[in-house]
Amino acid sequence: MSVASPARQSSGPAATVPSQAPRPQSRRRRLREFRWWVPYLFMAPILVLFAVFFAWPAVLALQLAFYDYSVVNPTVWVGWDNFARMMSDARLGQAALNSLVYLVGLLPLTVVIPLLLAVLLNQKLRAIGVYRFLYYLPVVTSMVAVAVAWRYVFHDLGMINWMLTSIGLIDQPVQFLLDQDSAIWALILVEGWKSMGSYMLIYLAGLQAIPSDLYEAARIDGAGPVRRLRHVTVPLMAPYLLVTLTLEMQDATQVFTSIYVLTGGGPADSTLSLGYYIWSLAFEHFQMGYASAISLVLWLVLIVMAVGNYAVSKSRYLATS
Amino acid sequence: MTTTVTTAGAGTSPKPRPRRTKHNWYKIGTDAILYVVLSLIALGFIGPFLILLSSALKPLTQDLFGFPPDLIPRPPTLDSFREAFRAVPLAKYMSNSVIYAVTIVPISALVCLLAGYAFGALRYPGRNIYFLLILGTMFLPAEVMLIPRYLVASDLGITNGYLGVILPSLLSAFGTLIMRQAFAGVPHELREAARIDGANEWQIFSRVMLPIVRPSLAIVMIFGFVNVWNSFLWPLVVLNDESKYPIALGIAYLAGIGSSDERSLAAGSVASIIPIVIVFLFLQRQIMDGMKGAVKG
Repeated sequence: MSVASPARQSSGPAATVPSQAPRPQSRRRRLREFRWWVPYLFMAPILVLFAVFFAWPAVLALQLAFYDYSVVNPTVWVGWDNFARMMSDARLGQAALNSLVYLVGLLPLTVVIPLLLAVLLNQKLRAIGVYRFLYYLPVVTSMVAVAVAWRYVFHDLGMINWMLTSIGLIDQPVQFLLDQDSAIWALILVEGWKSMGSYMLIYLAGLQAIPSDLYEAARIDGAGPVRRLRHVTVPLMAPYLLVTLTLEMQDATQVFTSIYVLTGGGPADSTLSLGYYIWSLAFEHFQMGYASAISLVLWLVLIVMAVGNYAVSKSRYLATS
Repeated sequence: MTTTVTTAGAGTSPKPRPRRTKHNWYKIGTDAILYVVLSLIALGFIGPFLILLSSALKPLTQDLFGFPPDLIPRPPTLDSFREAFRAVPLAKYMSNSVIYAVTIVPISALVCLLAGYAFGALRYPGRNIYFLLILGTMFLPAEVMLIPRYLVASDLGITNGYLGVILPSLLSAFGTLIMRQAFAGVPHELREAARIDGANEWQIFSRVMLPIVRPSLAIVMIFGFVNVWNSFLWPLVVLNDESKYPIALGIAYLAGIGSSDERSLAAGSVASIIPIVIVFLFLQRQIMDGMKGAVKG
């Protein structure tokens, strides 16, 4: 960029004939461009933050995975031991399995039901904004408060038990959060319930982009509401489905707060997620080296998943500007 | 870039459409059904909050649970709120959250603004690589970075203090994305014109571009506030000292200590979400449109 100016200066005194000619050229160059370091000035704060709180930790994480690091005891190089230990760690297996359950269990609550909610909220009705507000409310409230609220709902003399016993689905009240079979599903319900609104909004954005002529045409062709949903809405929402799927994966791997508040990973590790296990190892048992090794593997798995996802949705969403 | 201008006003011209009669009973019937369905679902979404609120307001003499549920507090009382603020320093936690919010939100927005300008408005080699690098942090689950970031914070000597919470929270990939999209939407010619008028790069940024992206900046700040107010995991890791807890962590602490009863826990939780509900009530349009805008990209 700055190459142009010395070239002009050297040619300036030599070519005396058209003194006017190079000037518009040079001014246009100056108009087009800024100094090369200008963008770096604007990026400086974020790059510094990135370096300190992402790049540096990433390097540390890599290193740490090969050490036995417990904060208090001296740090010992253990080679691949941390990774070998993962092979025989039953709790890790349980946590991985549970994480898979979260991933799959959240799918209907985040990818399917919000689409139906969005279709409902896309109706031209008076005061529809009120409903939109109410459906989205859990999204902006903290997970801690939400989890506490659900503690009352799941209570053995609480609302859900009353509803289930009064319609005769169960005879005895169930302690959902203390029951090995139901606890994880209770957590999935809470997590899904909290984030449904944001998924719904994504679909709503998509629905509002569908031209109404298409529905009109389908109606004229004799398609009822169900068939319009099936043959017009769903195909056109496919790209948004990819977005929600990506977000679902992100959400499902980050289930933490609800576990912390509601079950602490129990009963008998039945709700323990990988993230919670990593946190618990590192900050409750101070096995930071081993926990880092697990993080690293989880990281690799997530990168593979993200790349797979990106490959499918490539250039359609992330790359659009 | 693809600014699809939907002509919303075009539909107002009288089209020769099969006009429905005013008393369309079919329409009224389906609308009624829709309202019933919508309301039932809405009950599902606010039900847990209502139960929380009812538990917070019930007097000691009234049972919290029972078949059938009795949700009306008789009489409503604020005793549990008093008890919650006595059991743990909730007021302190709230003021901590305010401290976190007034530092993190504006600084982080500034960082996003500057970076977004570089990524969205300026053209230079490697800008997409930098942008993807920042965006990539969004897809990194928090718990993976937890340990090494904690170690970095302890190397910097900022654990267990306000700075330990604030500094790592300043980078917001989401905010950067929003600002980048906002700047990318501004026609390039505007910058050219400003430059012809003799503005330098800083003047173009501050006088020409900044006023245009102000709505997006507001969205970034609103989301920033919601995130800070609800932040839990990182403060849990970086703080040992309860006196620096933000409110969400404070509520979890209240839930964890044995001395708190169910009424005051409910009261504390209600108190903790009141500020966010108020913000949402007033800024719902910006919040929801911002969320949609981020997806559409």
